[in-house]
Amino acid sequence: MYAYDDFDTQLVAERVAQFRGQVARRISGELSEDEFKPLRLQNGLYLQLHAYMLRVAIPYGTVSSTQMRQLGVIARRFDRGWGHFTTRQNIQFNWIKLEQAPDALAVLAEVGLHANQTSGNCIRNTTSDQFAGVAADEIEDPRVWCEIIRQWSTFHPEFAFLPRKFKIAVTGSPNDRAAVRVHDIGLRMVKNAQDEVGFEVIVGGGMGRTPIIGKTLRKFLPKQHLLSYLEAALRVYNRYGRRDNIYKARIKILVQELGIEAYRREVEEEWAAIKDGDLRLPAEAIAQIAAHFAPPHYPERPTRPAAFLEALRGNIDFARWHARNVAKHKQPGYAIVTISLKSEGQPPGDATAEQMDAVADLAERFSLGEIRVTHEQNLVLPHVAVADLPEVWRGLAAHGLASANIGLISDIIACPGLDYCALANARSIPLAQSIALRFNNWQRAERIGELKIKISGCINACGHHHVGHIGILGVDKAGQEFYQLTLGGSASDDAALGDLLGPSLDTEATVDAVDTLVETYLSLRQPEERFLDTYRRVGLAPFKEKVYAAH
Amino acid sequence: MAKAPKLVSNPQIVTANDLASGDVVYLTKVNSWTRAIEQAAIAPSLEHSAALLAEAEAQARRNIVVAPYAVPVTLETGNPLPVQFRERIRAAGPTAGIGAGPGE
Repeated sequence: MYAYDDFDTQLVAERVAQFRGQVARRISGELSEDEFKPLRLQNGLYLQLHAYMLRVAIPYGTVSSTQMRQLGVIARRFDRGWGHFTTRQNIQFNWIKLEQAPDALAVLAEVGLHANQTSGNCIRNTTSDQFAGVAADEIEDPRVWCEIIRQWSTFHPEFAFLPRKFKIAVTGSPNDRAAVRVHDIGLRMVKNAQDEVGFEVIVGGGMGRTPIIGKTLRKFLPKQHLLSYLEAALRVYNRYGRRDNIYKARIKILVQELGIEAYRREVEEEWAAIKDGDLRLPAEAIAQIAAHFAPPHYPERPTRPAAFLEALRGNIDFARWHARNVAKHKQPGYAIVTISLKSEGQPPGDATAEQMDAVADLAERFSLGEIRVTHEQNLVLPHVAVADLPEVWRGLAAHGLASANIGLISDIIACPGLDYCALANARSIPLAQSIALRFNNWQRAERIGELKIKISGCINACGHHHVGHIGILGVDKAGQEFYQLTLGGSASDDAALGDLLGPSLDTEATVDAVDTLVETYLSLRQPEERFLDTYRRVGLAPFKEKVYAAH
Repeated sequence: MAKAPKLVSNPQIVTANDLASGDVVYLTKVNSWTRAIEQAAIAPSLEHSAALLAEAEAQARRNIVVAPYAVPVTLETGNPLPVQFRERIRAAGPTAGIGAGPGE
């Protein structure tokens, strides 16, 4: 893992001191709300439906056990005992008091955590593959480049007031787990004909009210040019992006209006002028960052230990969990464990302080002290010896963290919705709970197989509904909560936007409609087809017919 | 939010967030702020809520609260109950999960 050096530590400490002064001046009245709001947002502090909310950055989703424990401290000491992991691999605390926010940030700074780049029209916290560095299918560890982007983008003076926020995601694997095609810039690590590793640069993807799948800006960018190329891409956006209309201010609109060719010409022209300047990355600098992400020392462990095989044979619950939540590790004898934060009845992504402590303890004992946060609102223990899996599973089960549902219908992404969010039109959490309850028979869920439901409480699409296999969007219809369904979206390497099923439905009818969609799929599917595959083969009509026949 | 109906003829109360704590608060008859919606001062209609709102905005300028606005309510149960769903959740707390209810 990357460890903060003196420079990083000083930067964060100075920021806390600066914000402490700003909060004091706000409370004493020296600063008006209009003057203060942009300052608090630059420190991740929002005013939400009920209270102030603090969004803490978890850069590229990697967090140490020490840091996870400190998140538990924040939950206990400054909040109401829990936090909410978000679709951008961050964590939100819902009940932070303004007068205590500087203290909370100081406690976070003790372990190298902060709220920088979690709000405002800057380059936001870069996201990545939660399996980075351990995935068997990976070309290279993308976190090296996420960290290089972090160092370049943090408080970048030219990009502090962009037309709108700017989100970058990086994947090192051809199996995209970081949704790079729906980001302002998505970077895919690829090999060229000479077998050199570089980046495919994808631009102008995004969700919100104008969902767009990103377009390839450059098929192959050599590594040493990453920052100069990003700088050129951002500079063109900063110059031409619209500032007169918040709904047309993201880079996706600029790329759409200019056209990808014209935007590319501008970027290439800008890049030509700066590519061999200060931002050209020397090999030593890359190596220095890469050293932080060098594979840890893995003590040799058996690949098929007897106790593990015995547990697989003798314990159906363990076997199910293993089948769903454990992924292949690149190191023989090790496995990647995904911890579901989607236990029945709990809001997706929520974790109590006790659960954070439990995960931190398990990471310390069994995962080399490392944890990941996923954009699908789960956690990951990236380095678990196969022989330790039964004990890790028991440890998770003791804290309600052993739901065996990764990738299944109850592994739902949901934004906080109208229960917490000032922008929402409808609630997301109770709908997610109702759907999970409807499908709580695990045999049925297994039979359905991979099905990604994503719920947003408004058009801003924090719940990624556009790219759900089944997407659900909350709308306000004459003061009542209604939901629009879309089918066939995907955030993966086969990225696609969902198609609107038909008129919106009330909450109960929405749960029934999901049931009908699932039954329709089961009746139509061919062997090995996922819901998404069947949908792509047969189209919207049979699903639409079944859902609206009853209405 | 979608454009809510104006509900001009409904009784109105005035809400804001406490500056230092962020808590949801309501303006009382004696121009103080309460976390208990049943203690909120009630104007008989939107037209009559101007004085309450002016007082709330003055207190916002004095940095006691932030972002005050009027909330249409009904009085059918005796206590003010917001008409809009959003405002009911804001008054009663999240409806689901670990944080359901008004909290501490």
